[in-house]
Amino acid sequence: MVDFGTAELTLEMIQASQVGMSAVGAGLAVGLTGVGTGLAEMGIGAAAVGATAENRDMFGLALLFTVIPETIVIFGLVVALLLLF
Amino acid sequence: MLRPERMRRLLIAAPKGEIDAIIRELYRHNVYHIEDFVPESSSEALSIGHPLPEASDAASALIKVRAIENACGIDPENVDVKTKLPASKVREMIRTDLPVIQKEAEDLVGSRSRLEARQKEHEQRARELEPFAAVPLDLEFYRGYTRFTVFTGHITHDVEIDVPNEKYFSDKVVGNMIVVVVQNEHREQVERTLLDAGFQAIPVPEETGAPADRMKAHLEEARGIEGEISAINGKIAGIRERHADFLVACDELLTADVERAEAPLRFATTEETFITEGWVPEDRADRILDALEKATNGKIYIEELEIEEDTSVPVEYENPSFASPTQMLMDIYARPRYSEIDPTLMVAIVFPIFFGMILGDVGYGAVLLALSLGLRKFLKGEGGRNLLKVLSYASISSIVFGVLYSEFLGFSLPWEPLVFSRHLNIGGHAGGHGPQVVELMVIAIWIGILHITLGRILGILNARRLYHGRHATKAVISHAGWLGVMWGILLIIWSFFPIPMMLDLTGFPVAIAVGVVLLVAGVIGIAQENALEIVELPTIVSHVLSYARLVAVGLSSVAIAMVVNYISIGMMIEPQLEAITPVGVILIIVGILVFLMGHVLNTALGLLGGGLHSIRLHYVEFFTKFYKGGGKKYNPFGMISKFTEE
Repeated sequence: MVDFGTAELTLEMIQASQVGMSAVGAGLAVGLTGVGTGLAEMGIGAAAVGATAENRDMFGLALLFTVIPETIVIFGLVVALLLLF
Repeated sequence: MLRPERMRRLLIAAPKGEIDAIIRELYRHNVYHIEDFVPESSSEALSIGHPLPEASDAASALIKVRAIENACGIDPENVDVKTKLPASKVREMIRTDLPVIQKEAEDLVGSRSRLEARQKEHEQRARELEPFAAVPLDLEFYRGYTRFTVFTGHITHDVEIDVPNEKYFSDKVVGNMIVVVVQNEHREQVERTLLDAGFQAIPVPEETGAPADRMKAHLEEARGIEGEISAINGKIAGIRERHADFLVACDELLTADVERAEAPLRFATTEETFITEGWVPEDRADRILDALEKATNGKIYIEELEIEEDTSVPVEYENPSFASPTQMLMDIYARPRYSEIDPTLMVAIVFPIFFGMILGDVGYGAVLLALSLGLRKFLKGEGGRNLLKVLSYASISSIVFGVLYSEFLGFSLPWEPLVFSRHLNIGGHAGGHGPQVVELMVIAIWIGILHITLGRILGILNARRLYHGRHATKAVISHAGWLGVMWGILLIIWSFFPIPMMLDLTGFPVAIAVGVVLLVAGVIGIAQENALEIVELPTIVSHVLSYARLVAVGLSSVAIAMVVNYISIGMMIEPQLEAITPVGVILIIVGILVFLMGHVLNTALGLLGGGLHSIRLHYVEFFTKFYKGGGKKYNPFGMISKFTEE
C-alpha cells in the first residue's frame, strides 16, 4: 500500500515537473526569439530613422521594414502557445 | 477594376497663336497628363517653348501671397472652404486689396522681428550682469584705473593672493565669481595664481550703477517687449481671421496662372507651331478632343499614338469608391504598372478581415471607430483622411470579429464564442474550455495557403500580361512550379500526419506519390526559369507559417487585456468593495487608473500590431508572389479649385 502511494505521488510529481518544463520551454521560445528580433531590428530601426529624417515620405516604408524581423518572435510565440495549450 | 484606368496617348500640334486657348482648355478639363518634352541635340528643328508673358507677374504676386501666408501661419491645406470666391473678384482684389494687406503684414512682421532682436539684447545684457550682481560693487568702480589692474571672472574655488589686494569672492552664481584688484606691478604674478585655479575672465559690462538694479531693469524691459510682441501677434492673428479666405483664394488662382503660363516650357516648339505629347484617360478623351476643336475653331492637329512601353504610361487607379482609400496603402508600396493587375480591391477586402482577426474585440473596435471618425475633423490632408477611412473599415471588422469571438476589452460577452474561443484562463474566472489555439492556428494556415495560392495565380496572369514569347511561358511555368511545390509538400504532410480540419490522407499511399510528383515537377519548373531560385524554396514554408501571426498577435493582445482586467479588477477593486475603508478607496482609484492605462496601451498596441502585421502579410507574403509595381503617377495638367470659381 505504502509503495503504491509513493509511486502515485511520484507520477504526479513527474507530471507536474513536465508541465513546468514545458512552461519553461514556452518562456525560452518567446524570450530568445524576442532577443533575436531585437537584434535584427536594431540595425533596421537605426537605418529607418535615418532614412525618415532625410525624407518624411519614407515613414510608412521604414515602419514596415522595421517590423519584418517580427516574424521571428511570432514563430516563438506560436511555439509557446502550442506548448501551453 | 483590377486593372488601372485605360489611357490614350495623344499628340497635339497647333499654331503658336492658339497656345493660350489650348492651354486654358486643357487646364480647365484637368485630364491631360503632359509628357515633358526633352530636346535631343540631333534635332535642332524643335526647341523648348517660352513661358507666356504673364508668367513673371503671376509668379511674383504668388511669392508675395505665399510670404503673407507664411507670416500669418496660414496653410491652404488646413483652411476650411466657406464660400467659393468668383475668380474675377479675386483678380480685382489682387490689384486693390493685396498691396494693402501685404504692407500691413510686412510692417507687423518687421516690427515683430525688431522687437524680438531688442528683447534678445536685453536678455543678453541681463545674463552678462548676473555674475556681477553677486559682488557688492557698482559697475563704475571696475574701470578707469591707471595704477591698478582689475580681474573679473569665473573660478573653480576661492584663492589666497599673497600681494596687497582687494578681493571679492562669491559662490552664489554658477561657476563662482571672483573680483581681484591689484597694483599693476603684481599683475602677472596674480594672473598666474588665478589661472592655476581655473580662472576664466569675463568682461565688465559697459554700464553704470548697481549691477543687480541694472539687471532687474533689463529683465523688466524684456518683459515689456514680450507684451508688445504678443500684441503684434494678436494683430497678425487678426489678419489671418479677416483675410485667410481671400489669401488662399489668391494662392489658388495665382498658382493656376503660373502653371498655365509655364506650360509651354513642357512643349516642343518650332518657329510657328508647337507640339505636345500626353495621356488622357480613355473614357474622357472624346470630350476634351471636342472641346479643343471648338476652342481653336479647328486650327489644331491631334493624332493618337500607339502605346509603346508599359512603364511610360501614367497610372491612375480605377476602383469602386469603398476601395479607393486603400490606394494609399498601395502607393506606400508601389503604384501598379499599366498592364499589370491592380490588387487594390483585394487588399481593401482582405486587409480589414486580417485586422479584425487579430484585434477581434468589440471594445477596442468601438474605440478605434470613434477615434477614426473623431480625428476626421482635425486631419485635413488627403493621405490622413484616407488612412482614417481604412482604419474605420478595419475597426468595423474588428467589432464584427469581436462579436464572433465574444470579446469586450478582454471580458467575455454574454454569449459563448460563435467561432473558436480565444479566452485564456487568466485570473480566477477560468471558464469554458480555454482557447482553441490549435484550431485557430489551422484556420490561419489555411488562410495563408489560400492567400499565397491566389498570389501565385495572379502571378501567372501577370506574367502573361507583362512578358512576351518564351519569357512569358517560362515565367508562367515557374509560378505553376511554386504552386506545385507548395501543394506537393502539403499532400505529403497530410498523408503522414492527420491534422484537425485539414484533409486526412494517411490511408492513401497514392497521395504520397502525387505529392512527390508535384514537388519534383515544381522544382524543375522553378529551376527552368532560374536555377538560383531553388535556394528560395524554404520561403514556401516560412511564408505559409507566417500567417500564424493572425492568431499569435491576437492572442497576445487578448492576454494583455485579461491581465490588465485581472490586476485592476480582480486584485485591486473587487476585494476592496467587500468592506470599504479609506485605504480601500485609494486602492480602488489606483485600480481604475491601472485599468484605463492598461487598456489605452493595449489599444495602441492593437492598432500597431493589427495594422502593421496585416499590411505586412500583404506586402511581404502576398505581393512578392505576383506584384511588380513601379508605375508612374497620373498627374493631370489642371487643378480642382477649392476656393475659387470661374
